[in-house]
Amino acid sequence: MESKNNWKAWLYLAPALILLSVFTFFPIINTVIVSFTKDYDVIDASFSGFTFDNYIDILTPIHNANGNDGTAFESVMLIGLPNTLLLTFITVPISIILSLIIAICLNSIKFFKKIFQTIFFMPYVTNAIAIGMVFSVIFDTKYGLMNFLFGTPGFPWIYQNLTTGATVNYWSALFAICFYIIWHSLPYKILIFLGGLQNIDAQYYDAAKIDGAGRFKTALRVTVPLLSPQILYIMITSFIGAFKEYNSVIGLFGASGGSFDKTTGPRTMQTIVFYIYEKMGENGAGGAGLASAAAVVLFIIIMAFTIVQRKVSKSRVHY
Amino acid sequence: MEIRINHLTKTFPGNPKKNIPDTTAVNDFNIVVPDGTLLGLLGPSGCGKSTTLYMISGLKQPTEGEIWFGDEDVTHLAPEKRGIGLVFQNYALYPHMTVYDNVKFPLTNLNVKRTKKAQKTIDALTILDLLEHNLDEIVKMEQESVYNNKISKSAFARKMVFRFHIVTSLANTIFSYGLSRVEGDEREAKLSEAKAKLNAAIAAEKEALEKKGFSINDKYEVLDANGATIEENRKLTKDEIDALVQETARLVQIDQYLERKPSELSGGQQQRVAIARALVKKPRVLLLDEPLSNLDARLRLQTREEIRRIQRETGITTVFVTHDQEEAMSISDKIVVMRQGIKMQEDAPQEVYRNPNSLFVAKFLGNPPINVFKGSIKKGTLYIGEEKICKNKAFKEDKDVYVGIRPEGFLCDEHTKEEDKVLSLDVQAIQTMGRDMSLVCDSACKDGDALIKIIIDSEIKVGVGVNKFAIRPTKMFVFDGKSEERIYLED
Repeated sequence: MESKNNWKAWLYLAPALILLSVFTFFPIINTVIVSFTKDYDVIDASFSGFTFDNYIDILTPIHNANGNDGTAFESVMLIGLPNTLLLTFITVPISIILSLIIAICLNSIKFFKKIFQTIFFMPYVTNAIAIGMVFSVIFDTKYGLMNFLFGTPGFPWIYQNLTTGATVNYWSALFAICFYIIWHSLPYKILIFLGGLQNIDAQYYDAAKIDGAGRFKTALRVTVPLLSPQILYIMITSFIGAFKEYNSVIGLFGASGGSFDKTTGPRTMQTIVFYIYEKMGENGAGGAGLASAAAVVLFIIIMAFTIVQRKVSKSRVHY
Repeated sequence: MEIRINHLTKTFPGNPKKNIPDTTAVNDFNIVVPDGTLLGLLGPSGCGKSTTLYMISGLKQPTEGEIWFGDEDVTHLAPEKRGIGLVFQNYALYPHMTVYDNVKFPLTNLNVKRTKKAQKTIDALTILDLLEHNLDEIVKMEQESVYNNKISKSAFARKMVFRFHIVTSLANTIFSYGLSRVEGDEREAKLSEAKAKLNAAIAAEKEALEKKGFSINDKYEVLDANGATIEENRKLTKDEIDALVQETARLVQIDQYLERKPSELSGGQQQRVAIARALVKKPRVLLLDEPLSNLDARLRLQTREEIRRIQRETGITTVFVTHDQEEAMSISDKIVVMRQGIKMQEDAPQEVYRNPNSLFVAKFLGNPPINVFKGSIKKGTLYIGEEKICKNKAFKEDKDVYVGIRPEGFLCDEHTKEEDKVLSLDVQAIQTMGRDMSLVCDSACKDGDALIKIIIDSEIKVGVGVNKFAIRPTKMFVFDGKSEERIYLED
């Protein structure tokens, strides 16, 4: 295209660019700025000077002039970050492998294929909070299906047993929320993998058959490598999604984020995003600064992971 | 391995509800492919030739009929148990694997029955032999394998494999001696150390076997206490796989591209990789599904020769599917012409052209295509229009016929003055193509819209307008007007 016609291209892009600038680019930059301010007030955007205190507060237990008592550090570094990392590194690999297996199986059946596809896609169109509430009933101490199945009446999966006073073990709560996140994230992944599978030329399977490769070997050596672009896409998006986990915590444990036995792990299931929302909603000045600083930290973590993933997968992905 | 196909039929079921009738892709098909020959399945697209091939491969199940490989009925055998190699039309090379891995893949799935051999001894002796006779060359080769200012193990190994036809692991062992990195006495010392190590390995294996009561014969086969060889059922070892891959790569001349991905190769090279993958497990039968249709004209010619060479060298029974008559004629030992699932003619390549048994075969083979005229038989004489062509005892009853005359079947000399076998044609255009001349003519009696094409010696003088042409009797075929079958003339 000739360069003098460039303004036309910009004109066509303008609506999208303006919207993106106002609602995406500006907020990102503003977040970084806010994270360096002292006593930022979200109502009138007033603040009293720039400082590193927000970062010091959330990243270190050092007491400073700001009146840091270590609660921000505890919420982010001792509760939010471990929770977020654990959720990410448990749910992402398991859900990818599970959805891959389900997608390959779904792709190879002939009868009821559409019905099964619909069944597996159902959770995707269901509201996350609603599913969370259903799961909290499943894992309920008194009436829960889980206790019924395992024959462990009164076991405090996610809620304290009010009769005996038995407290919740962190790991049982983690199991419950991972169960829920994996179940909820399967449909989308299955959908993407099924799409990718349907694009694989059937001749590769014929060739594998002639070459005498069994079903399992064909799946591992032919199907999975040919699906690698989709797998990379799903890996990156679900890592980012898992780092932003918030809905599921609210859905399963309520607005408090749960309350567990402190000796077994973090005392709540609050994630970093959970902390960010909590701080933003706080009355008075200063909360927004801490929330923004936490957001920037999360942004850097996600960015680093994505870059590493892309680097590592470069040689393994075949377009 | 002889292939016999008896009454092979494949019907794809239709859908009566939607008024889609059943489709018979292959209909009562019978052929015998003798051991070691190349059969060309020729026909227009949709004639069932690929379906036949896939049924031989086992990827498609026949509706009826039997397929025999030698004395074995393979009709209901799974594809991987048939011992076949199949080259797909678009190669179907695994894009994520290197050429080496692609060729290797079938071998990793193979279970073989082998006589147990003293492999360590054989390897050690091979290396000793190389060090004895080719030391200078090896050292030089190692010194030349410099990549990024470092002696590259893989480059050296590639060269060694290429030069001495050994497996990669042996080349790596030789590299580990580091003979090129030192000179004179030091090298001698390293050499004798290596030799001592190898001899020790031979002795060690012998001792280990003797402990179990086994011994080694002069073919380095392991003998048990009774002096009998030991058969073992197992997967191929890494070295055996490497040897087979290298051997096949040399056969199809892709040994220089083994480390590349298929996408980095040209069409012809990809084609050869596909053939290597099909051949590497030493199949009983090689099947090729339109293997040249994705190549450009020049490469097609070259690859076709290549396929013929590989087939001759390996002596493997091959079935080759194509819609290109020239291709089929040039490499097949025998051609089967198919039409709508039915075998039309089965013959030697030249015979199919020279002696077609039906109008379809006559029309399908030959470029430019055969000229077809509408003729008639009246009282034992063949007429095209008003012109009397010939009398023959085979013309028993009066009927309409088709007369096919090959483009090269016309003469323009003193024969035109004779009474029969002369045809008047309206020459419309003359093209000289070097040695030959192509005439485009019209005739009231031509069948269909295509104009008559004549290929004739360019020295003959013909003008535009109506000319008389004599017909060469061997290039003229008469076909029944209804059944389109050949009416063979009698002498």
